[in-house]
Amino acid sequence: MVKRRNWTRRELLRSSAAAAGTLVLSGAAGPLAFAQGSDEIRVGVVGCGGRGSGAAHNCVASSPGVKIVALADAFEDRLKRLKDQFKVPDDRCFVGLDAYKKLMALDDINLVILATPPGFRPKQLAEAIKQGKNVFMEKPVAVCPAGIKMVIEASKLASQKGLGIVAGTQRRHQHEYVETMKRVLDGAIGEIVSAQCYWNMGGLWVNERKPGQGDVDWQIRNWLYFTWLSGDHITEQHVHNIDVVNWAFGDVLPETIHGIGGRQYRTDPKYGNIFDHFGVEFTYPGDVRTISTCRQIEGTAGNVSERVVGTKGVTNCAGVIQGENAWRYRGPRSDPYVQEHTDLIKSIREGKPLNEGERIAGSTLCAIMGRESAYSRQQFKRSWFMNRCTLDLLPPDDLKLSDAKPVPPVAIPGQYELPGMGQRG
Amino acid sequence: MSSQANSVSGTKAGVAAAAAAMAGMAHAQGSGKIKVGLLGCGGRGNGALRHCLQADPDVEVIALADLFEDKVRRTRDRIMREEKFQDRIKVDDDHMFWGYDCHEKLARCEADLLCMATAPAFRGRQMMAAIKAGKHIFTEKPVATDVAGCREVIAASKLAESKGLAIVCGTQRRHEFSRLELMKRIHDGAIGDLVGGQCYWYGGGIWFRGAEPQMSELDWQCHNWYHFTWLSGDQICEQHIHNIDVLNWCFQGPPAKFMAVGGRQWRSSNEDQVRTAKAVCRKYTGSEENWEKFNGDIWDHIYAEFEYPNGARCLSFSGHSPGKGRNGEKIVGTKGTSDCNHNINGENAWRYEGKNVNGQQQEHIDLIKSIRAGKPLNEGVRIAESTLTAIGARIAAFTGQVITWDWLMKESKQSLVPSQADLMAGKPLYHPIATGRDPMV
Repeated sequence: MVKRRNWTRRELLRSSAAAAGTLVLSGAAGPLAFAQGSDEIRVGVVGCGGRGSGAAHNCVASSPGVKIVALADAFEDRLKRLKDQFKVPDDRCFVGLDAYKKLMALDDINLVILATPPGFRPKQLAEAIKQGKNVFMEKPVAVCPAGIKMVIEASKLASQKGLGIVAGTQRRHQHEYVETMKRVLDGAIGEIVSAQCYWNMGGLWVNERKPGQGDVDWQIRNWLYFTWLSGDHITEQHVHNIDVVNWAFGDVLPETIHGIGGRQYRTDPKYGNIFDHFGVEFTYPGDVRTISTCRQIEGTAGNVSERVVGTKGVTNCAGVIQGENAWRYRGPRSDPYVQEHTDLIKSIREGKPLNEGERIAGSTLCAIMGRESAYSRQQFKRSWFMNRCTLDLLPPDDLKLSDAKPVPPVAIPGQYELPGMGQRG
Repeated sequence: MSSQANSVSGTKAGVAAAAAAMAGMAHAQGSGKIKVGLLGCGGRGNGALRHCLQADPDVEVIALADLFEDKVRRTRDRIMREEKFQDRIKVDDDHMFWGYDCHEKLARCEADLLCMATAPAFRGRQMMAAIKAGKHIFTEKPVATDVAGCREVIAASKLAESKGLAIVCGTQRRHEFSRLELMKRIHDGAIGDLVGGQCYWYGGGIWFRGAEPQMSELDWQCHNWYHFTWLSGDQICEQHIHNIDVLNWCFQGPPAKFMAVGGRQWRSSNEDQVRTAKAVCRKYTGSEENWEKFNGDIWDHIYAEFEYPNGARCLSFSGHSPGKGRNGEKIVGTKGTSDCNHNINGENAWRYEGKNVNGQQQEHIDLIKSIRAGKPLNEGVRIAESTLTAIGARIAAFTGQVITWDWLMKESKQSLVPSQADLMAGKPLYHPIATGRDPMV
């Protein structure tokens, strides 16, 4: 269990100085991705929107000796705020869809924050690992099975290269969740026989199309609403809760998926082609069936939570266990959005980099499978989806903001084709 | 539709029936003939009638009723040709009733037992009329499409209780020997405390009927009843209630709370259905301009969570569309699981090895036996509760809100079905398609 480090300003300064001193002695013994001659964490931010900016500040606040030194974004205007805040020079700010490559080519960067729309994540992660960078990446990490495979491969490579990967599923770094899960995995609620998870909420921001704006330009600025960019809201948001349930099962993934869903209320074309609700049944080994719902409809009842039921008790996964081994978390609480960076940087500095890549790929996969089951109203096995489903929504390498890209139709069962379904057998 | 001039109240039979009703007695216990009237001469009504005839050799059919005259006549003609039943079909011309008030005419005849199989919208008033007239009831499920209808059925069932009248409902799983044995064990703790469960009815779709030449617009709605929530209760109520009823059986009562999501893209864009809806629109409006109004308002999927009073959260998964079909139930306890049919897995593993029966037959046998034994079964409140369970989940989906059982029972003012006067006046009724954030009524 990682304890929160409550750095005072003075400690922070002292620690940085000490760290700098230590490194002179330890020299080349430091992990591969360290900038030469310093344990300073030099961060490049890829994707400078709301979440990227948040992550950059969280990262800096998390540990001493962290500096934001380069920025990349598809749009210059999105990059400006971080540029001013962290005084990043012009020649280290990159704009365009290939900006991430230029940023990752910089030798002095040893950590990248990936916070662009998730459709871009697999290729950006692969590039980061290729360039020897540690990675903090936002969830989800892909929107299609082709992307999932790329993330898994990059994560394996990261392990070989001794690089750290932490994903923005912050519950995995939130003390009350960590302590609860430790107990659940130790059998505090017995054998798991049922579980539920939800992300039911109202609406989110929308960027309406401006006159003359190209397809790709508009879709990236309004990325939540296009499956190829966000993975739909089940992937973009609900992955958090699905990830918690997977955690309770010891990160064993569901074997069978059956979902339904649709677009009943949020039907305006400005909302792209995603659904406004999903309900998915995930069946884990031993025929343990779980409930998952997510909804984005303004004015409806909210619920963002998880619940796991065992033969000996029940937990909300976040600090409360009821039943034979009743327990309540009473320890310290920290900001999990900061804690995930603290944990990553600590692990890098200790030379034991965390690698959450395959785990977050698994949870992202579950969300994608739920979506595709709901789009097609087909039930399928995870093994089928990974081995036979040929769905590939990865953006082409030469994608341009000016490219034409018609919005795909909203999925209708009987019309929506799940690529590879014909080979089902 | 043509209204029927004849009425049993002016006939000899009517006088006799009125006298019987006043005495508060239908056929009571003991042997002798049981006179049966059928209300609703569609496929299910015809099926139920045959099961009723097969249930007891002394059942005689004496009256038939339906909204449509041709269905009544066709039903009599067909069953008269069936050798094994023909000498027990004694339906005189003046015992054939049709029109929107056919249930009132039927209640005034001298039948002992009425089999009800019309669209569920009208069941509350049908049952109330029948119980007041002293009839035993076999009713198809569900028994309502709105909250008001459920309350009416509960009231009718309590009245039946006080009058010693039987009500059995077409949730045939409750009469299957294997499930009865299984449920006894579950209630005795064979799988421990109940902590979860699932039930499913997901199918490929259902007919969408066009309008026949002589039909009024309201007639067409009733003919195409499945597609209007006020008539069918939507698929979750009309079909999936079977599986929901099984979960309620496990928990020995209805859920405390509902949460649900759902929608209807497939029905809105289903080409065959849209073509028919456009033709109907042309017939009644002269153009295709407002065809969507004629395309039905039910959804094509609802994914609901039921939270039972003990805290267990269960999945209800229902709908129609191309894709994977499901039908069944599963219940999960702390010591095992069950398919709710004939298997228990876990600490007290068990498998039903006894005789299997056809539940749709057995329910009629049980009903008539109970009448003859003077211990009339009364499943009315239970089926009203299961119907309200389906309706509660539907309301949760239509409104996007968490719905509680208490609110349904005490506060909801939902009433979707037209008054008897509006029906007699032939007024069609269209509710807007639910948005997923409708107001709670």
